[in-house]
Amino acid sequence: MMLTLLDELLLFSGATLLVALFIGRGLAAGWMVTILYGGQLLALLKMAVLGYGGGTIASSLSFEIMGQELSWRFDGLSWFFALITIGSALLSSWFSCGAWERSYIRQGGNIWLFHTAMALNVFTMLILLASGDLLSLFIGWELVSWAGFLLMVLAGGVATSAAMRYITYAMAGGMAIFGGLALIYTASGSLQLEAVTTAVEQMSGAKLWLLVILFGGGFGVKMGLMPFHLWQAPAYAETPGPGSAFLGAISSRMGLFAILLVLVKLFGIVNIESLKLPFTPIDARDLLAWIAVFTIILPTFTAMKQNDARHLLAWHGIGQGGYMLLGVVVADAMGGAGGLLHVFNHATYQAALFMAVTAVIYRTGTSDLNKLGGLVVRMPLSFVVLLIGIIGLAGLPPMNGFVSKWLVYRSLLNQGMPLLFLAAVIGTLGTILSVYKLIHNIFLGQLRVEHEHVSEAPWSMMIPMLILSAIIFVTGLLPGIPLEWVASALQTVGLPVPDHTLGGIESASGSLDMIWVIGVLFAGFGVGALVFYSAGRSKRVHQLDNYAGGHFLSADVRYQYSDNFYAGLMHLIGGWYRGSFLWLERSIRSLVEFLSLGMQGLYRRANAEFYLLTTALFVIAWVVI
Amino acid sequence: MSATELLIELTLMPLVAFVVGMMMVLMMRRIAAKLQRRVGPPFFQPLYDIVKLHSKRTQVSHGLIHDIGIVMAMGGYIAAETLLPVPGMNGIAEKGGIITLLYLMMIPSLGLALGVGQCANPNGSIGIARALTAMLAYDIPLVIVVFGVAYAAGTTNLIDIIATQQAGGFETWGVTQMPLLAIAGLIAMHASLGKQPFEIYIAPAEIATGPMVEMGGKYLGGLFVMQCFQLYTTAVLYVSLFLGGGTTWFDFLLKSFLVLAIPMSIAYLFPRYRTEDLLRLMWKWPVMLGLIGIAFVI
Repeated sequence: MMLTLLDELLLFSGATLLVALFIGRGLAAGWMVTILYGGQLLALLKMAVLGYGGGTIASSLSFEIMGQELSWRFDGLSWFFALITIGSALLSSWFSCGAWERSYIRQGGNIWLFHTAMALNVFTMLILLASGDLLSLFIGWELVSWAGFLLMVLAGGVATSAAMRYITYAMAGGMAIFGGLALIYTASGSLQLEAVTTAVEQMSGAKLWLLVILFGGGFGVKMGLMPFHLWQAPAYAETPGPGSAFLGAISSRMGLFAILLVLVKLFGIVNIESLKLPFTPIDARDLLAWIAVFTIILPTFTAMKQNDARHLLAWHGIGQGGYMLLGVVVADAMGGAGGLLHVFNHATYQAALFMAVTAVIYRTGTSDLNKLGGLVVRMPLSFVVLLIGIIGLAGLPPMNGFVSKWLVYRSLLNQGMPLLFLAAVIGTLGTILSVYKLIHNIFLGQLRVEHEHVSEAPWSMMIPMLILSAIIFVTGLLPGIPLEWVASALQTVGLPVPDHTLGGIESASGSLDMIWVIGVLFAGFGVGALVFYSAGRSKRVHQLDNYAGGHFLSADVRYQYSDNFYAGLMHLIGGWYRGSFLWLERSIRSLVEFLSLGMQGLYRRANAEFYLLTTALFVIAWVVI
Repeated sequence: MSATELLIELTLMPLVAFVVGMMMVLMMRRIAAKLQRRVGPPFFQPLYDIVKLHSKRTQVSHGLIHDIGIVMAMGGYIAAETLLPVPGMNGIAEKGGIITLLYLMMIPSLGLALGVGQCANPNGSIGIARALTAMLAYDIPLVIVVFGVAYAAGTTNLIDIIATQQAGGFETWGVTQMPLLAIAGLIAMHASLGKQPFEIYIAPAEIATGPMVEMGGKYLGGLFVMQCFQLYTTAVLYVSLFLGGGTTWFDFLLKSFLVLAIPMSIAYLFPRYRTEDLLRLMWKWPVMLGLIGIAFVI
């Protein structure tokens, strides 16, 4: 039997898992696993034809269960997501080797479990991405859910409860998907991918609605779509540093992959659009778009209130997922491209941001935004990485996040959707506020006495961070590179592809050429620098040599603004943070607890006569009636 | 267009912006002087100020980011000018469009925010926090306005937006076609200039001029240059969106100065708002006008 390219990739990934599992205790294990991720990347690149034009590469593995054939294959969409998965795993794993690993072990962490959990995540994600029918999709889905749980639960303590919360949501989502599969099976008698299309043709409106809700909700849980967003931020934030970089980069995008596959490719946006919500002018597509928009705004403004850098980033991760879904459900050429491109861009800057924050934690021992400050003079490279990352996250030129958001804005503009457009921009503005707080409270302002002797992050951590920063900038300068892959993925799911060039987008209604935009931007900086540095030489002063309204500053005086950062804004909108979703979650939990207590009480009360009497009464009633 | 011509345009556009911007600063000061019954500064005062600040002997730096922040504040606007068409020169306007321009205009603020951050002075940081909040306030009506104009014109290309307006004279100007959006845009523009009554992030009496607290010499000089560019960019953008751009330099500059004179005159008649009042005002009136305006467009 000849091994196909996909077989090679899956075998490589499986081998990585085995290496981590059996020799993951040694200190060299991290490097070995990292090299194996590199091998996976090479195996993936051998399939690069998928990323440039499409086609399918099947795996030779397939079998039948109860008349249903299970098969695995890769296409343009799978390749695109796999590239991000393996890329972020490679860099996160590299980041974890050496210095970080040693400190993790010193603090009592189990490095074997960490490497194994990472490798398992990558392996299961590849299996999910390769799924060739609905049953293998479901199996892959469950595997990914449980693998994610393993990584999240590692840190123990708070992380455990966050991971438990995640798995509760994930299981509920899994059940919803299972329900959807059952519906499709009863309608079409098959679980092949085409069965969805057949089922859609045969089903009535109400059943289709149910399908959209079951699949949208089930996959949406993973993406942290509203109202299923509560689990994600704490779960990702509390994962050990490189793990949160990996999870934040790609994990929840598996939900988007499944939505693209099932709802966009098989269901068809046209069919979703034809589902009207009774008594309203809204259809199912609008509903998804509005869910996306609320997923952008609410988590972004929640992020703004966070005082822990990791939690702040994790909340933004949820918000950025909204842009991806928004672009995809608008589903014109620019929207689809923007949504998918944002998956790639988000992975790059989110990983870089989590790594930079982890580097700060490594050196200072805290990610509390009220206990840091002024670190730019001690950790300048980490500052640069964080800066590049936040410019990407905020979606400003010259970084890659701008291009994908520009595409989403443009699609909303072309389609004439002012409110969605406005909401998308509000999300971006909120992000700008929030990320400035992040960089200000960590790197700017007053350097604390206890951080006087902190040094730059070690090179083992720095190099992956710098590689990511380079990717963020280069794909911002030349968005044509990832847009090629995006185009291939778009073709796979049957969405239109925008005209793109190496520097951006060609369109009759307004183009974008990032090479020119970034060119003039840096020329402008050059002129600005010329003016600035040709003026008189400046003298560097100590941070305490500062205006303090007539007082002298000394090292023991804390002269920093970090808490309640947007006080004026919070005067107005502070009262709007009601925690309604938390309240909802708590009330559901209480209800379940109450019911189970009731059941337990009934069950524990071993009152045989009472049960006998009740049963007898029921039987008599049934017979009589 | 040949490469040389393009290079000349790319050099001239920021240069013109700078010179006109200085004259706008002068106009602002003269208006203030008139309203306060003073004589006001002489014609070349803005130029004197910039030269003076850049040649001061005491130049206090709080570190590299402090310097880079000022460079970014100037450089971002220099780059933005090449995306803003003026009579006879389009620069690279068609390679970016209005959305890119709006986002490029945020780069100077980001640079300033970084620079102020390294000054390690809470007054400055509070100022930046307020400035970013102000941005959140006025940008919401502003993007509604930009959406409306771009949707009505069917393009994000500023050259086309201007051409559509010039096609039928005053009849096809943005301000006659979309008066509600024009009003909303004017209010948002006023707030974006950060002048009274929206001068919340300078607030000398509370936070010792906020972002400027540790800025002296060429640092303040850089901010002065940035202000020249800011006044020019804001005014020209408004003229391009609503007043049909300019066919000749004369009517182009006339419109730009006139439109800028409106917020300037209001600014020196009113005291200052609080941050939350600014948010409330911006999110209510211009947003409402803008949304109604958009309803007419779509």
